Amino acid sequence: MIDRHWSDEEIEQFADGEGSRGEDHLRECAQCANAVLAVTQMKRAVHDAMDVGAAPASLRARWTKHSSQQSALPWWVAAAAMIAAIVISSAVLLRKPSQPALPELADMHVTILASGNPVDVVSTDRHTVKPWFEGRVPFAVPVPDLSSTPFRVIGGRVVYWHGNQAAYLLIGKSAHRISVFVFRQETAPTTLGQSPTTVSTLSWRDRGLMFVAVADVPPSDLAALRDAFEHQ
Amino acid sequence: MQSFEELALPLLDSLYQYAWWLTRNPTEAEDLVQEAMLKGLRGFGGFIAGSNIRAWMFRILRNTFLTSRSGLRAVAPLSLDDETRFTEEIADSATPESHLLQRADAAALRRAIEELPVEFREVLLLSDMEEMSYKEIAETLSIPIGTVTSRLMRARRKIRKAFSRQP
Repeated sequence: MIDRHWSDEEIEQFADGEGSRGEDHLRECAQCANAVLAVTQMKRAVHDAMDVGAAPASLRARWTKHSSQQSALPWWVAAAAMIAAIVISSAVLLRKPSQPALPELADMHVTILASGNPVDVVSTDRHTVKPWFEGRVPFAVPVPDLSSTPFRVIGGRVVYWHGNQAAYLLIGKSAHRISVFVFRQETAPTTLGQSPTTVSTLSWRDRGLMFVAVADVPPSDLAALRDAFEHQ
Repeated sequence: MQSFEELALPLLDSLYQYAWWLTRNPTEAEDLVQEAMLKGLRGFGGFIAGSNIRAWMFRILRNTFLTSRSGLRAVAPLSLDDETRFTEEIADSATPESHLLQRADAAALRRAIEELPVEFREVLLLSDMEEMSYKEIAETLSIPIGTVTSRLMRARRKIRKAFSRQP
C-alpha cells in the first residue's frame, strides 16, 4: 500500500538533502520519484547556469601579494612557494575528476522506467520518433531501423544533462527495456566512471554524438544494439 | 590560529560568484569582494576560531552590498504580505519542471535567474551553487530556516513560471 504523496515542500526538501522523509516511499511511488528527479535536475541546471567562473586574477593577486608581504620570508622563498602553488593548482585542475556519469545515468534509467510515462513520444515507428526530436534537442537524433533485429523502438523523450538537452530513446527487447542516452559530443559526460553492478552499460561515439546504453540485459545485447545503431 | 588569508583565500572564487550574483556586474563584483575582504581582515579579531568562516565572510560581503549604493537600489524589502501569500501561490505548482527546463538551454536559464529579485538569486546560489544546508543559509542570511525553505520554493517556482511562459 502506497502512503500519501509527498507535498511540494517535502519533495524539494528531499532533493535539497533536508527534511525527515526517508526514501522508502520513492521506491514505490513513481509520481513522487519523478518529482524529486525533476527538482534534482533543476538544481543541477541552476548550478551550471549560475557558474560565472573564478575570481579575476587581479583580485587574487592583490590578496596573495598581501599575505606574502606580511610574512618576513626572503623573496626567493615566497617566489618558490608561489611557483609551487601554481604547479600544484594546475596539477589539481588537470586531475580534478568530474563526477562519474554512469551511476547517475543508471539512476535515471531506473527512475524513468519506474515512472508512469517513461517516454513523451510513444511510437515503434522510427519515422515518428526521429522528427519528434527536431527543435527539442540541438542535434539530429539517429533512430535506427530495428525491424530485422530482436530490438524495437518504444519511444523517446528529452532529458537534461548538466544544463544541456540530450535525447533519450527507450528500446525494447522481449520483456526488457533498454535506455539509450544520446548526447552531443560537446556536452557529453566527460568521465563515465565504473558501471554500477546492477545494470549493464555500454557507451560509444559516432558522428559527433555520444551514446550510452543502460539496461538489465547481458552486455552482448547492448553490443548488438550498438551495431544496429552504427549500421543504420 | 590560522591567519585571515589562510582561511579566506580559498573562499575567493565563492565570494566572487556570490558578489557577481548580487551585483550582476563583474567590475562591481570584484570591488565588492575586495571591500569585503578588507572588512574581514580588519574584523578578523571578532571571528571565533572553528566557527563557520564561509557563513561569516558571506555575511560580511552581503552586508557590504546591502549598504552600497547599488545594494540599496536593488533591495526593496520583502513585505510580510509577500511571504504569507506564498502558500496560495504554490498550490498549483504541479507542472513538472523537468519538462519545462528540458527545452531551455543554460544561457536562457541564466537570464531567467538574473531577472529574479536579489533575495531569490542569493538563496538559489547558496543552495544549488554553494550547496549550503538550510541551516547554513539561515545563518548566512540571518533569517529563520522556515523562511529559507519558502524562499527557495518561491525562487524555483518563479523559474518554472518564466519557462512556462516561453513558447
